[in-house]
Amino acid sequence: MVASGASDVDTSTSKHLRGKYAICGIGETSYRRGSDQTTRSLATWAIKNAMDDAGMNAGDVDGMLSYSGNDSTFSTFVAGDLGIRLNFYMDVHGGGSSTECLIGIAIGVIEAGLCKTVAIYRAMNGFSAVRIGGTGARSAAPVTGDQIHHRAYGWQSAGQMFAPSFLRHMYDYGTTPEQVAHVKVAHSNHASNNPKAYYKTRLTPEDVVNSRVICKPLHLLDCCVETDNATCIIVTGIDRARDCPNPPAVIQAIAGRTCKPRADMHYQHGPISTVAGYYAKDILWPNAGVGPEDIDVTGAYDAFTFTAMLQLEDYGFCKKGEGGDYVSSGIINLGGARPNNTSGGHLCEGYTHGMSMVIENTRQLRGEVDDFCPIGPDGKRQHTYDYAEGGCRQVKGAELTANLGWANPGTGSAMVMAKDR
Amino acid sequence: MSDWSKVTRPIPVPDEWTKPFWDAAKRGVLELQRCQNCGDFQHPPYATCVNCISTDLKFEPVEGGGTIYAYTIMYHTGDQRFAGAVPYASIIVEMDKAPGAFLPGNLLGVPYAEAKVGRRVEVLFETLNDDITLPQFRLAQTTSTA
Ligand SMILES: [Zn+2]
Repeated sequence: MVASGASDVDTSTSKHLRGKYAICGIGETSYRRGSDQTTRSLATWAIKNAMDDAGMNAGDVDGMLSYSGNDSTFSTFVAGDLGIRLNFYMDVHGGGSSTECLIGIAIGVIEAGLCKTVAIYRAMNGFSAVRIGGTGARSAAPVTGDQIHHRAYGWQSAGQMFAPSFLRHMYDYGTTPEQVAHVKVAHSNHASNNPKAYYKTRLTPEDVVNSRVICKPLHLLDCCVETDNATCIIVTGIDRARDCPNPPAVIQAIAGRTCKPRADMHYQHGPISTVAGYYAKDILWPNAGVGPEDIDVTGAYDAFTFTAMLQLEDYGFCKKGEGGDYVSSGIINLGGARPNNTSGGHLCEGYTHGMSMVIENTRQLRGEVDDFCPIGPDGKRQHTYDYAEGGCRQVKGAELTANLGWANPGTGSAMVMAKDR
Repeated sequence: MSDWSKVTRPIPVPDEWTKPFWDAAKRGVLELQRCQNCGDFQHPPYATCVNCISTDLKFEPVEGGGTIYAYTIMYHTGDQRFAGAVPYASIIVEMDKAPGAFLPGNLLGVPYAEAKVGRRVEVLFETLNDDITLPQFRLAQTTSTA
């Protein structure tokens, strides 16, 4: 479906940036457990891969953004390692939902004239060093500030903190773990067609609900895989992007980091099972000039099966309360009407704090997803659109994608991208 | 029934906003911060009312029971101090007489499976050391309505 909003561009608002910036380069390292590399080394490789993808040299990149939670390396080191002289850089604190938001910041600083092209990276030893699951160094940290209101009662990891939102959704709407397990099933099917995926085995809903319970209603297989990796996205103006070797993924709109009231204690101010997308959708869709019904591929952040479901619901892909039906209907599968996380996402491919889902949708819009399909004499992949195990994962005719980034129930970001005309 | 006997909980550190809450808990009283301008309760305590940004805030005793609003059952814990208690119920409770302020707690004294949305609970106090007493919850002993 072609973006229908071109004629309603109001140049007096921020919407006039619709279609003016693009992702021109993407890069990643392998998704592993045990990288035996520093985050600085991982970051360097990911950025170099993205520069190669964009056909850019050190002199072509003059801006850098990164995000981390005190578990990574800084732009000034990495830029130097790559011979890049920076006109702009910033390293920000954050995990999930940073990707889309930092792309928005990149557009802002380029628009303001600070620099011309921005490389955004996330480098993490998410398995070997700092584990989001809350084991290792995180559990030894002292209890301070607002943490006193949960740590003393045995809440700590992301899954433990989010679980009450998931359970209350089940109570209010009759959502079942069996329905939501289909998120993992779909992503595992997608991952089986992704040579890079850490977990490539196809699973059934029974596999998910029969895996051991971590914290009700989350089973082990409802939780994402912690891995070591770095990822990079290069953002530049649309004209420059059109000179790059690969077709641009054109940025239509971004929302982020949009918050519920009192994001740090979100359940004190509004339904606990409502997520930030409830607010972000009112920025995303008008600025993009399209609605959820126009989207061909979604990238709903899957730290847990439930996070993908809650976001798809609150961004309006289905009615409130019908997320369980939506994710178990087949819509989110390859071959369905609107596949989600065609790489396998955080649940199966690897854990990147959101970058890999934007990289995947960029590849979808290029028509160049790196699956098991043969590469033709022109160097381009000959997609079969046969989604059987070990086959294709390119969505036929993908023209519009939506990424829905998640930090926690109270904070999220989102982005709509389009295939270039 | 969760076995809490081997758990040594992280000790909360009171600060300028939370000290009255902890001082009251030590006396065996649940006190929550209330805006004297708009009447809203809020928890945890802050410098201003998050509803009307008034700074006229006081801690008021909150009696009676509450209802489990949401919960989870922990079967696995990264913080090894809690490993001895799994599975255990961590609950979020809305108090009848402090609408809008939600309190975290554990459901004590009954099997963890008794934690359900909508269950009636009441406050009890768990002494952690000479300084800190933790407000906690058990199923309501008396029948009362919200
Ligand atoms: Zn007030």
